[in-house]
Amino acid sequence: MKYIFYFLLVFALPMRLLAESSVNDTQIQVNTLISGSDSLKAVAINSLVASEKTEVYPLLSAINDKKLFLYNNILITIGEKLSSDIGADKFKILQVYPEYKELTSDNGNFLFLPISELKEVEFSRSSRLLLAPITPYLNLLSPEVEKRKLAYSQFQGLKDKAILPKLYSALAQEKHQEILRLGRETIFSIQLNSSPAASHKMWIDSLTLNWGPNTQSILEEYAAAQSNPELKNIASAKAEELQTKHERLRMFQNVFSGLSLGSILIMIALGLSIVYGLAGVINMAHGEFLMIGAYTTYCIQSIMSPTSDLFFWVSLPLAFLVSGIWGFVIERLIIRHLYSRPLESMLATWGVGLVLVQIARSLFGDLTAVRTPSMLSGGWEIVQHLVLPYNRLFIIFLSAFMITATYLVLYKSRLGLQIRAVTQNRRMSSCLGIETNKLDAMTFFLGSGLAGLAGAAMTLIGNVVPDMGQTYIVDSFLVVVTGGVGNIAGSIVSGFGIGFLFKMLESFFQAVYGKVLILTLIILFLQYKPKGLFPDKGRIGED
Amino acid sequence: MKTPFKSKTLYKLLSLMLVAGLLFSSCSGSKDSASEQEKSAEAASGETIKIGVLHSLSGTMAISEVSLKDVIEMAVEEINASGGVLGKKVEPVIVDPASDWDLFAEKSKELILDKKVAAVFGCWTSVSRKSVLPVFEEHNSLLFYPVQYEGEECSANVIYSGATPNQQLIPAAEYLMSEKGGGYKKFYLLGTDYVFPRTANKILKAFLLSKGVPKENIIEEYTPFHHQDYQTIVSKVKKFAAGGKACVLSTVNGDSNVPFYKEFANQGLTAAMCPIMAFSVAEDELRSMDTEFLVGHLAAWNYYQSVESPENKLFVENFKKFCEKKGLPGGKDRVTDDPICWAYTDIYLWKNAVEKAGTTEIEKMRPALYGLEFKSPGGLVKMSEKNHHLAKPVMIGEIRSDGQFDIIWKTDGLVEPEPWSKLTSPDKDCDHVSHGGTYTLND
Amino acid sequence: MKKYLTADSLFYILLITVFLIVLPLGNILGFVSNNTISLWGRYFCFAIAALGIDLIWGYTGVLSMCQAFFFCLGGYSIAMHMLLSATGKGVYSAAIPDFMVWNQVETLPFFWEPFHSFGLSLMLALALPAIFAFLFGFFVFRSRIKGVYFAIITQALALAVWLIFLRNETMLGGTNGLTDFKSLLGFELSNPKTKLGLYLIAFLTLCGTFLFCRWLVNSKFGKVLVGILDSESRLSFTAYNVVNYKVAVFVIAAVLAAIGGVLYAPQTGIITPGRMDVKASIEMVMWVALGGRGRLKGAIIGALLVNYLYSVCTSLFPESWLYILGILFILTVLFFEKGFWGLIEMLEAKLTGWSPAKGSESLKANV
Repeated sequence: MKYIFYFLLVFALPMRLLAESSVNDTQIQVNTLISGSDSLKAVAINSLVASEKTEVYPLLSAINDKKLFLYNNILITIGEKLSSDIGADKFKILQVYPEYKELTSDNGNFLFLPISELKEVEFSRSSRLLLAPITPYLNLLSPEVEKRKLAYSQFQGLKDKAILPKLYSALAQEKHQEILRLGRETIFSIQLNSSPAASHKMWIDSLTLNWGPNTQSILEEYAAAQSNPELKNIASAKAEELQTKHERLRMFQNVFSGLSLGSILIMIALGLSIVYGLAGVINMAHGEFLMIGAYTTYCIQSIMSPTSDLFFWVSLPLAFLVSGIWGFVIERLIIRHLYSRPLESMLATWGVGLVLVQIARSLFGDLTAVRTPSMLSGGWEIVQHLVLPYNRLFIIFLSAFMITATYLVLYKSRLGLQIRAVTQNRRMSSCLGIETNKLDAMTFFLGSGLAGLAGAAMTLIGNVVPDMGQTYIVDSFLVVVTGGVGNIAGSIVSGFGIGFLFKMLESFFQAVYGKVLILTLIILFLQYKPKGLFPDKGRIGED
Repeated sequence: MKTPFKSKTLYKLLSLMLVAGLLFSSCSGSKDSASEQEKSAEAASGETIKIGVLHSLSGTMAISEVSLKDVIEMAVEEINASGGVLGKKVEPVIVDPASDWDLFAEKSKELILDKKVAAVFGCWTSVSRKSVLPVFEEHNSLLFYPVQYEGEECSANVIYSGATPNQQLIPAAEYLMSEKGGGYKKFYLLGTDYVFPRTANKILKAFLLSKGVPKENIIEEYTPFHHQDYQTIVSKVKKFAAGGKACVLSTVNGDSNVPFYKEFANQGLTAAMCPIMAFSVAEDELRSMDTEFLVGHLAAWNYYQSVESPENKLFVENFKKFCEKKGLPGGKDRVTDDPICWAYTDIYLWKNAVEKAGTTEIEKMRPALYGLEFKSPGGLVKMSEKNHHLAKPVMIGEIRSDGQFDIIWKTDGLVEPEPWSKLTSPDKDCDHVSHGGTYTLND
Repeated sequence: MKKYLTADSLFYILLITVFLIVLPLGNILGFVSNNTISLWGRYFCFAIAALGIDLIWGYTGVLSMCQAFFFCLGGYSIAMHMLLSATGKGVYSAAIPDFMVWNQVETLPFFWEPFHSFGLSLMLALALPAIFAFLFGFFVFRSRIKGVYFAIITQALALAVWLIFLRNETMLGGTNGLTDFKSLLGFELSNPKTKLGLYLIAFLTLCGTFLFCRWLVNSKFGKVLVGILDSESRLSFTAYNVVNYKVAVFVIAAVLAAIGGVLYAPQTGIITPGRMDVKASIEMVMWVALGGRGRLKGAIIGALLVNYLYSVCTSLFPESWLYILGILFILTVLFFEKGFWGLIEMLEAKLTGWSPAKGSESLKANV
């Protein structure tokens, strides 16, 4: 280790002079990076760092990220990824030197390649650590949003104006809204820290107006350190103002999280509720239909082209169908014999669940993941500091769609009329010519299908594992029960209620205790309303 | 009452026969039992030598443990293809303890007493090992345990081939403090709340304090199992790392890792600024993770799939082939990692010891284990001369985007195991040859 | 011949000869392994808990899905006592249990103190679940929560307590639970004689609780329970205070589960929260359902048989045992409404032309 340092001591200075002289020297050093020995590479990195030439920054940045490769003797790095289950993942190819640009393939499209076709240019960790001092500068111009964010926030709180020109010039090229805000915040905070007191009020106002992610803490720190009472008051008043704004937003964020959790619970509870209402069967295998839906999505993903998002949209109806068919078959084979014995049917469906989990485990192994379609990744920033992730929004939308569709089927179709009739009085409906047998199967198809659809949506937020159904099943039982068994409106109200309450409690307590508390609350609630929110007046209502 | 089928009785009888047949087939397997004393001798006298495989194939631990069962089967196949042990074929008796700790104890009894296996290969979690330990001690049988563990244990009936704290934790911390590793000065110890992280962090803390790291530069924190929401913790880490020269030593377990690394990247922390040194993330876990958030972070193990040696190349190739041939989920995309390597090594250690002693009898083959050397896929390893741990190399790996590790640092030779850490229990040591287990040095 | 050898008497004869004579004697003589003894010893504990479930579900028609929690309360109590009596013998030679040492706890939490004494531990092991069941049952039954609602609410309870027991802060060992017991009342647990003793105690307790339950269901109290099953509302019109009866049977079931737990922990050598998760309680109900609910013998047979199958299948068919158990559950529920015992009765009726007592007809499942 030590010899490198001696080496640097002797050579770094002259090298620096050389580096400034011409582009050719830069080229020489870049060549050293490709083929030199470890210690030579370290020297080359050091002189490139010292040269402060911005055109090599993409190259250095790639080294820093361990993503420098050679492709057809061009120095490249990799950008965004295309996941696939057939073969290896492919990455977008970006040239880093002498010019920073995207490479295109012969047909004019951007070039995507798997890592196996690239040759990595290797650097020891210690030589990469040489880049640490300029990492923030490198990152200011990085192609990655997160890197740039990090870079700006690292400069915050400095008291030295010397950095400002670099920040201004970097920010001038910036297009990303969020980073613009962050960058301005950084500049203002440095100004605030380093300018004469007379201008402080102006900088405080600018900071507040800009309202970046750390503004509040910057102002608080400033207020704590400031001795001038007037400035101190202004800063702390502004900080407080932001604090209340923040709290209002956090409230909103909690409401949103509650809404999204509630939607998930409702998606699962809907099917349970319909099946129970009509057939009086507590379907313990309901969670497994969810799992079937998720695996359907996984299968479709593996079959279809990995580059497009189409697989997800195709798999939604298919998940519904596949789960529905499984439900139909299981109803015909097993559950229809058990309608007169509800608790037995619960046990039988539990057995069905065991078998389904095991089938999934032997077919798929234990851990698989579905890629989130690019359309659904990221989030929607409604106002400053309030980002709603698209996948959660999609789930809320989907559950609204499912509720509407279920409502239409139940209340606007002939099938729904029959289902409701049988729910109220099975024998009488049978006498009036409704084929209850067929209806049971249809209902089961519908209920399981809804679970499958929910499962496809669940791939957006979690892993796909054989026992994934069991994570949510107890919660959805609670939703069904709290809402009033077999009552769909009740399930919806209680689903959102439980979702909200849980997220609210979670923000005050640790997650586990929040959950314990909500379970206790449900138990207490049922004390007061033993048959749930909307007690059912139908066949099930009587004991 | 509704009747499902017309000829009800017929169906009842049919399924009765099914159930009865099932019972009968199972009874024949376990009813003949004899006294336990002769078990090892008897195991050797048959046509085959039975070994027990005690890894969860269902339940929460199946994700990790199934791979170990697979590699054991592969090793047995290899051994049988090359003539077996003592001229006899090895027969693995595989049971499923179903991630149920009670069942681990029950199954180990069954393997030892009823199946009369010569040795048992298994367990992953500390709790499963603790649960079977009394059984092995009571019946004087041998458990080969392939996973890194918290130490502070010195049983005559367990062969610990995984790392002891000084073979994983201490070198990792040393590396991070060294100039080459980045000279980190602040350490955030983050773990899942159970015995391994608790003990590991106790030892790490003692080590860091002994190296002059001030108390306020060490933070210790735990999350429950399956914790998913790391927002608060990562923002704490971010604050902690604000001054630079900070790193995270992570014993976060299993499925919590994905949300942890994701949140870490989300909040703008990177490996260049604040690396995470993980002690429980290996290739097999990375296989199912989206690695893009993990690249550049570190891990400390004694083996990586990327180890360059002819033995390892063959091992990795064979494992992939084996998984493909058997139609196991994952097929040729399967990877090897540290526990898999030691589970494989365990079988060969046992085989070599048995052949050296000429018998599977525990009292005779155990002495043969001491000082035994084996060229494992991870390099040459050597059993300690006095206790049941392996001396082996320690390697620091850096996560690559393909889910593999670059080995960036490696100890020069083998690191001797210290089941009792010199830092937290300086007065204790583990010696089976002259002290019969744990002893106090002052005596 | 017909009159003497009914399925009933055959059950008793088999039970006594196999478990009280053949297995223990075999063990002493050396042809039944210690493993078999401790296996069956543990199954007996499950059977005791199953009797409780049969009382509350089979006879009263109230499906409780938190019995595993009561089972664990008993198990944890005795386990705490065993750990305290073994302090100083652990790997750390500390005055507190080992898991507290690595949790960096220095002094024994206050609620561990009573468990130094065996008598007090035993009392608490039974009193805690009884009090808990009384309070919970009183409020829940008073507000007329029944049927599916009660089942789900008890499931919520099971989930909540499981989450609490998983935490390390509760000082009960967290996920790892309590393990490494050395001795009970001075008897070394690793000694085969102690094991045989525990086995016999478990078996005799099972017989005792069975006799108690039989007496109970044949008493007036038992008739009222069946009345509740048949029609709760009609029964309450005849001036019976249904709530009291339900609370009473819930408490009895809880205590029975706890007794099972007390005997279970020393024989197994470990007790963890895994024993009390939602799944565990459902499994317990399955034993009774498969054995034949509403029949005490059914509960015993169910618990013994299912657990035996579980043990056997996880060894013989490690890759596919879930199929076997799952299909078995489905088949039994589909074809043998009255479970195994119902099947035995049916076969007996076929063979002898004798039909089971009329009384049990009222036990048709109609919850």
